[in-house]
Amino acid sequence: MLAGDVRFLIFTAIGLAAFPLALHAVGGYGGLATQICILSVAAIGFNVLLGYAGMLSYGHAMFYGGGGYLAAILLMRAMPAHPNLWLAVLGATIATAALALAIGSVTVRLYGIYFALLTLAFAQMVFFIVEQGGEITGGDDGLQSFPNALLPIGPWSIDLTAPVPPIDMGPLGTVSDLKLWYVFAAIVLLLVLWFTRALTRSQFGEVLGAIRENEERSLFVGFNAATYRLAAFAISGALTGFAGAMRALYDGTVAVDSLGIDRSGSFVIYTIVGGVQTVFGPVVGTAIIVYLENVLSGVTPLWRLIEGLIFIAAIVFLPSGIVGTLGGRGKRGRRALFGALRARPATGVAPPAGPAPAAVDVPRETNA
Amino acid sequence: MESLIEALLNGLVLGLIYVAIAVGLTIVFGTLRLVNFAHGAFYAVGAYVGLVLAGRYGLLAAFVAAPIAVAAFAVLLDRLVLRFFYGKDATSQLLLTFGIALVVEEALRLIFGGTTQRYPVPDALAGSFALGPIQYPAYRLAFALGIIAMLLVVWLIIERTNYGLIVRAGIRDRIMVQLLGGNIRRASTIVFAIGAAIAGLVGAAASPIYSVNPTVGFSFLVPSFVVVVVGGLGSFWGAVLGGLLIGELQSVTTIVFPPASNVVIYLCMALVLLLRPQGLLGESEVIRQS
Amino acid sequence: MDAILETRGLGKSFGHFAAAADIDFRVAPGELRAVIGPNGAGKTTFFNLIAGTIAPTSGTISFKERDVTRTSGTRRVHFGLAKAFQTANLYGDQTVHQNCRLAALAHVQGPFAPQVFRRSKRLRTVDDIAERALSRLELDELADVRAGDLSHGDKKRLDIAVALATEPEILLLDEPVAGMSRDEARKTEALIRRLASEMTVLIIEHDMDLIMGISDSITVLHQGRVLATGTPGEIRENPNVQEAYLGGHSQEEMHA
Repeated sequence: MLAGDVRFLIFTAIGLAAFPLALHAVGGYGGLATQICILSVAAIGFNVLLGYAGMLSYGHAMFYGGGGYLAAILLMRAMPAHPNLWLAVLGATIATAALALAIGSVTVRLYGIYFALLTLAFAQMVFFIVEQGGEITGGDDGLQSFPNALLPIGPWSIDLTAPVPPIDMGPLGTVSDLKLWYVFAAIVLLLVLWFTRALTRSQFGEVLGAIRENEERSLFVGFNAATYRLAAFAISGALTGFAGAMRALYDGTVAVDSLGIDRSGSFVIYTIVGGVQTVFGPVVGTAIIVYLENVLSGVTPLWRLIEGLIFIAAIVFLPSGIVGTLGGRGKRGRRALFGALRARPATGVAPPAGPAPAAVDVPRETNA
Repeated sequence: MESLIEALLNGLVLGLIYVAIAVGLTIVFGTLRLVNFAHGAFYAVGAYVGLVLAGRYGLLAAFVAAPIAVAAFAVLLDRLVLRFFYGKDATSQLLLTFGIALVVEEALRLIFGGTTQRYPVPDALAGSFALGPIQYPAYRLAFALGIIAMLLVVWLIIERTNYGLIVRAGIRDRIMVQLLGGNIRRASTIVFAIGAAIAGLVGAAASPIYSVNPTVGFSFLVPSFVVVVVGGLGSFWGAVLGGLLIGELQSVTTIVFPPASNVVIYLCMALVLLLRPQGLLGESEVIRQS
Repeated sequence: MDAILETRGLGKSFGHFAAAADIDFRVAPGELRAVIGPNGAGKTTFFNLIAGTIAPTSGTISFKERDVTRTSGTRRVHFGLAKAFQTANLYGDQTVHQNCRLAALAHVQGPFAPQVFRRSKRLRTVDDIAERALSRLELDELADVRAGDLSHGDKKRLDIAVALATEPEILLLDEPVAGMSRDEARKTEALIRRLASEMTVLIIEHDMDLIMGISDSITVLHQGRVLATGTPGEIRENPNVQEAYLGGHSQEEMHA
């Protein structure tokens, strides 16, 4: 492991350790920190697709909710007596990755609005299928009261619902409502951040960026763009499904709204507000929006309107999001995301190896 | 048998709503190359304007005021925000208009509350009408005829007027529109306003049939996008064909195999995108990657 | 000698319009072949058929005795057939060097390599190939410039360098000097001549001076069909070719 990686892990770990304390100081509760960590993982998954592959999905709830349902079903049907958190989460993640591969093999051939609508369509199909799923999915009611999964590590079985000892912060109060779940979710988030950082700096991330910037050129230097995009879609779906599985086990319940359009839209909002194409953007965006949601919703009925306005403001004024702008990448990020995509016709169904201009030898200005 | 006929008629009414919204989406896309996720918001605003006015001043006032109010709202939106995003990539436009749709939905929720409301059918159209073996609500029939008449007017505008010329040319060739030059900007705004007005009028007129709540914009927008994709983005007759097809499909499935009624339209769209990505009547070449 | 590239009965129709029809075409290894023809002759269609940008409606294409008619353009690059674009098609936000590196990376790593942890910086061969491609097009000094900031002529040369970084056996050039100044064109001509000593080159070009000066042999297309094939001298004397050029309204092209 490189020195840079170690530094990254240490600083991020310190940040994550301080996060629930800071959140407590501004009126958040312990569970909120855990929820933010888990939702951040889902948003990071979404950002792999939008930020690095340049594809806007309006259907990521199918992976989030899908992961949740799969984990719940695994837990209730396959291991009711010995609920094992590893197996439930990993099983659900692998299954959502497979789902993403299947759906991706169809969707990654389309661009822009067509890609967005097709992912939305698949998400709606998954939503209604689960809603009609009868006993297996619990229909409208979803699934509740599944066994509390334990986390086996070596000889121990850890109960994540156990409390963390109270932390006294002097004048800022005492944090006494943290559970071991936060520790687990924070470690998971740390590892996912590290993975994403490695991914975006890797050869895979480099090629993905090249394809995003100029797909036609990439095809004719020999990159199989569709396969790269499919791989990005699968990784993205798996990360989001992983988060969904964690969330279901954390809540001990899963419901159909985890598969809904609002959920899909929320990942879009978190990521745009925080910053596309940045490693920490989705985390910051999720933290801000989820915090506001929880704090403001108690104070004013305006909070969803405020959320929408923040989102619009981010698109118009901060296209690189909060993290992208703070990181001084405002101009560059804007050009990389929007400039690259602009190369295609507005329909977004550009033929990368399109025949249209090749149809006939037409007179050109250069024929002088 | 009776239930099937009724389902077909319901499908027609539903389909016509989709057609009207989809036509707006399509002409706006054709001229402005703007993919408008906020188009459903025009329907919702129209529905609420109708709700307020119909109770006080009667249905006619509602039907006149709703499209005008919505058109004004659309022009405002166009001047204030949207115009900065013309010519940008589809992803930016989708994100922005999605944000606008969210804000409009929440604003409606704040003003009118989150509950589902409806206003009563006027006395003159309250009864039902004998159609062969079944009795069908008179208001729905009048609604269907009204929408068809409106679509004819829109079609005549597209085919016979200068603004229509811009729509037609824009659908075929953006550069040609630029060559036409001059008032293209203003004409585009007018096309945008017309598309919005159609949605607003339909929103007001459909409210006695389908109830109104703040999420109604999204609920009609998503199937209308399906319609546009199925029919072919940018094609007027594609929107008509797609709308009727999707409306009937949804309605008939409801009685034939209810569990599938919500899935079937998405299945239909996925199939069209895979087999004929440019849509049933779409002109533009859409090529899958080699 | 066996042909490195061969087409038989190759055709492409758009509806009722045949942009290319019944083209039999052979290029020997090491040859520098030019394809010319008046406007509308089907040159670009033919070029795109060879590169794999579009699929033919009839006939076959074989490359190194392998049938590639239905092979994607991406795969053909890995077989050793690279193209430079008519309008330079680059990664505008990347440096000149990185443009070539990406092409070299594709060559070394194949069409798909899920290297999600390893960085490409560690691959020395990739850098070597990229640097070699740049120096062959005399772009070394511009290696750190953003590609989007290059002059028109430099962009076109970089486009050739990118194609070269895929280590092709045959290089397809679509109007390599179009839009260049006289000096740039002459410089590029010399570079192409040097490349042609190492690999097979197929050029589509309007500039007749360039074509006559550097080609080993020339194929003339007219109305989507092959009108004549021969040495520059033979083509110049061919009455059918003169007829096609002078008879049409493209007279100026002969002297462009």
